Amino acid sequence: MLMTTLRSVIRQTQRHPLYVGLNVFGLALGIGLFLALTLLVRFEYSYNSGFRDVDRLFRLDTIASNPGTETREYAGTTFYALPFLKEDFPNIENSVRIQEQSLQVRLNGTLASFRGGFVDPSILEVFGLRLLHGLPDALSRPDGLVLSENAARRIFGTSDVMGRTVTVNNDGQMSRHIVTAVTNGGIGPNFLSDFEMMIPIPIEREKSNNCYSRWSSDCGNIYLKLKQAQDQASIQSHLRDFVMRRASGPDDSDIGLGLHPEKMYALTLAPLRNGRFYDAHVVASDDGVERNVIDGIGLVGLLALVLACANSINLATARSVLRAREVAIRKTLGATRKALLVQFIGEALVLTLVAGLLGIALCELLVPGIASLTGENITISYIFVLAVLPVVILGCGLASGFYPALVLSGYHPARVLAAARMPSGGRMVGRLRDGLVIGQFVIAITIVIGMLVIHQQTEFLKRADQGFVRSGLLIGSAIPSEDIATQQRLHDRLASVPGVSAVTYGMLAPSPEDKNQMTFTYDSPAGPIRVNLLQDRCDENYLDVYHPRILAGRWFDASRGQDTHPDYRKTPNAMSNVILNETGAQRLGFTKPTDAIGKVIKSGSHVSTIIGVMADMRFESPRQSIYPGLMTFNPHFSTVFQQPIPAVRFSGVPVLEMERRLGLAWSSVLPDVEGHFQTADARLEKFYRGDEQRGRIFTLGALAAVMIAALGLYGLSAFAAARRVHEMGIRKTLGATSLQVIMLLLRGFLRPVIIASLIACPIGWAITRNWLSEFDERILLGPMPFIIAVGGALAIAGLTVIGQTIRLARAEPARALRSE
Amino acid sequence: MLIELSHIQRLYCSDEVETTALHDIDLQIEASEFVAIMGPSGCGKSTLLNILGTIDRPTAGSYRFGEHELTALNEAALAKFRRENLGYVFQSFNLIDELTIEENIDLALVYRNMPKGERRTRVAHAMDRVGIAHRARHYPSQLSGGQQQRAAIARAIVGEPRLILADEPTGNLDTENGAQVMDILQRLNDEGATIIMVTHSPSHADLARRRIDMLDGQVVISVRNAI
Repeated sequence: MLMTTLRSVIRQTQRHPLYVGLNVFGLALGIGLFLALTLLVRFEYSYNSGFRDVDRLFRLDTIASNPGTETREYAGTTFYALPFLKEDFPNIENSVRIQEQSLQVRLNGTLASFRGGFVDPSILEVFGLRLLHGLPDALSRPDGLVLSENAARRIFGTSDVMGRTVTVNNDGQMSRHIVTAVTNGGIGPNFLSDFEMMIPIPIEREKSNNCYSRWSSDCGNIYLKLKQAQDQASIQSHLRDFVMRRASGPDDSDIGLGLHPEKMYALTLAPLRNGRFYDAHVVASDDGVERNVIDGIGLVGLLALVLACANSINLATARSVLRAREVAIRKTLGATRKALLVQFIGEALVLTLVAGLLGIALCELLVPGIASLTGENITISYIFVLAVLPVVILGCGLASGFYPALVLSGYHPARVLAAARMPSGGRMVGRLRDGLVIGQFVIAITIVIGMLVIHQQTEFLKRADQGFVRSGLLIGSAIPSEDIATQQRLHDRLASVPGVSAVTYGMLAPSPEDKNQMTFTYDSPAGPIRVNLLQDRCDENYLDVYHPRILAGRWFDASRGQDTHPDYRKTPNAMSNVILNETGAQRLGFTKPTDAIGKVIKSGSHVSTIIGVMADMRFESPRQSIYPGLMTFNPHFSTVFQQPIPAVRFSGVPVLEMERRLGLAWSSVLPDVEGHFQTADARLEKFYRGDEQRGRIFTLGALAAVMIAALGLYGLSAFAAARRVHEMGIRKTLGATSLQVIMLLLRGFLRPVIIASLIACPIGWAITRNWLSEFDERILLGPMPFIIAVGGALAIAGLTVIGQTIRLARAEPARALRSE
Repeated sequence: MLIELSHIQRLYCSDEVETTALHDIDLQIEASEFVAIMGPSGCGKSTLLNILGTIDRPTAGSYRFGEHELTALNEAALAKFRRENLGYVFQSFNLIDELTIEENIDLALVYRNMPKGERRTRVAHAMDRVGIAHRARHYPSQLSGGQQQRAAIARAIVGEPRLILADEPTGNLDTENGAQVMDILQRLNDEGATIIMVTHSPSHADLARRRIDMLDGQVVISVRNAI
């Protein structure tokens, strides 16, 4: 039986290479894309799951509910909370604090950056990290250093570096460390995968940094390992009481959060399993990815497989009618229906097996591309592929072989042999074929619409008005020095770079938790309105560098005394002038920006007058709403900036050259601190990178879907053309012109695509509208993506069938009438 | 003179073989004639009919139809000529399976861009003339061979063509149905239609006004029947 099946497949291939080729190639494309996208989905779903006891691991997150702002969850927590947590919750087995930091090592005279940070020694045990060299207590000595294998090779050229010394530069502060362990990763994708350097948290850091001693400040993450996974619920239910008990204090206390901290502050346990999906809506977490986007990518892979199977069914049922005589003769010679069923399903399975093997080869080609498109370290797991592939082959083989086999084996030999014409397969089979083509194009058009909308939105975000002029602007790294003289020197050095027209300092950190926040009250006619405002500060050059748009009022003026922000330590009751951003003005209840001008807002004893309202400036993720903000004015380095971010306006010099010049100016003042300047677009790039990368996957899926659907249509049009030669002969004999015949055929071939478009457009609209709703700033969902997708599908379908159509239309009627 | 063929030749060339299907045919047919063409299989009867019907082109020679020299026309002009002047009846009926009988007959008028109302009237009239009106909404596969051929004749006459070409119209029919079809063709001829019919049946050929015998691509005998 197997030999008969194989022989039949070989003969089919020799006699009808086009049909077999289209079928196998379509299936291979579907299987290859399915495998590759499944590997991506598996990667995302397995994130962090390689950690030992991952179900017992949680990150402690902060939830802030400040007046006048949306509730936000932050991936950071004050380290001050940890001793109390351990004391109050005995079901915490272990914990680790991680203060992530870019650390530098001088290699061959230049500073090389390593992702890493200050950690508790327990990190190796809590996460069960695998060590290539060294022991789990490697970080118990204060000068210990754990390197990743890659970092060891970068620094020393080998991974066998135990006991070697490394001088680590942390924003200009040098410390010598001895390598006490080398990790080898190897536990799958996780948030520590690209962690290259771990140093124990220095004692002096704990003493000097507010986040170790105050509730109101945080600088890193706390990870907890619970005794049992079920303890999460119990701890979670007591965290509110914990905050009330431990974080409360007098309103004027620097340590506590006031009398009722629970009103604006909460703690929560974020699970590490599937943490990537959890983090999608957590602020200050770079690893987040929307689960529905990953599911969508998985769905694209699955749909590619379904498309390929539909294609195969279509081609097989179309071809089956041409095998009717073979079936009739076999039946006449005594073959049973069951034997024929087995034969045809067997043929389908053999073709699917060949396609499956080609699919693996295609997967090999696709995975590096997908890894590069997504920036994820995805590799082919052959154990996984070999486990999945037999199921896929069997499923596709049966799905694509069963129905055609049922149709084929059901022919009545007497009728087929007596008929002058081949049977058409019946109206049911015809409808099924139409239905499958419609289904294929619905899927393809929907994916194309999705791809186009993602592309439009990503481009929109790149070009959207960020509230400041981006061209000719370079923004630098935060200056670690809080020495006013150093800040002034760097400012002057940057200003002296040829091509620079203005230099300013600001705070504009991309996340609100990195900036000072203060709750202000405006006594409106309807009653007091309280809003938590982010505070930024600027100098006299800010306007010249960023060119913020003033919506109402005026900008700061150094000649007006009250514009300069007072030092409240010296004059606690001094008045000051401030400028609000548009969101801040709205939240304080001002309908129009002009309404805010001259109004007074208060925060405790501090009283400020609003002198201007500026357009919102976005330095954050486009998914997040703009935080209400307030700007104060500190000209001429009157007070020290905390880690200010320099920004430079320039002209007449190419961007790369200016980046180089500013880098040199930086290193002449801060030689031991790595600092670089980048465009505003580059700074914001990380916020839309994920959408852009996933958009590329949709492009890949869309291309494959359209290609598979076009393959199917081509196969069907070839079949239909062969069947309709006679009909076209009759029509031409009756006086139809070639053009009329072409139009008739094109209408017939494109009808399923038009119906598919009518179905796909509302589906695509609903899906993309839902996706767009996640963005604070988004495109208006217009008709263009739909027109392009439908027009493209029609054009591709038209091009696919036009060759067959013209050939058919130009056939001489006399020959056409003899065709059967 | 309605039709005038001069020195018509038709060669079929394959990779290795050149076959002469028609050799130097000269033929004149008057309007309202009923001509039967006979001859053994492969003698060129159907080829001649196809050339008369302009669905095949002669390799050489001239074909005049009334005032038109048809060999000089392009594809589009020939299509226009066919829909305005010719009606066909085939041995295997050549009805389109996917269309109803009514739609099949209507097809001959669709390509004339005739208004729908007029088409409907003409189709109904043509179906009445061949006695097939009660089968209007049926598909070809639901009809007997005789009924299908009557439908094909209705399609051929619905456009009131100047010439009806019938290629063995009774070849696939039993005696009774064959006789009915011949009866219809004779009636049409009596009403003034010009008919050229290829047939293998001497008795059916005798019903025509003129009989042409062909052999090896040539006209060997052309005689008028005594009717």
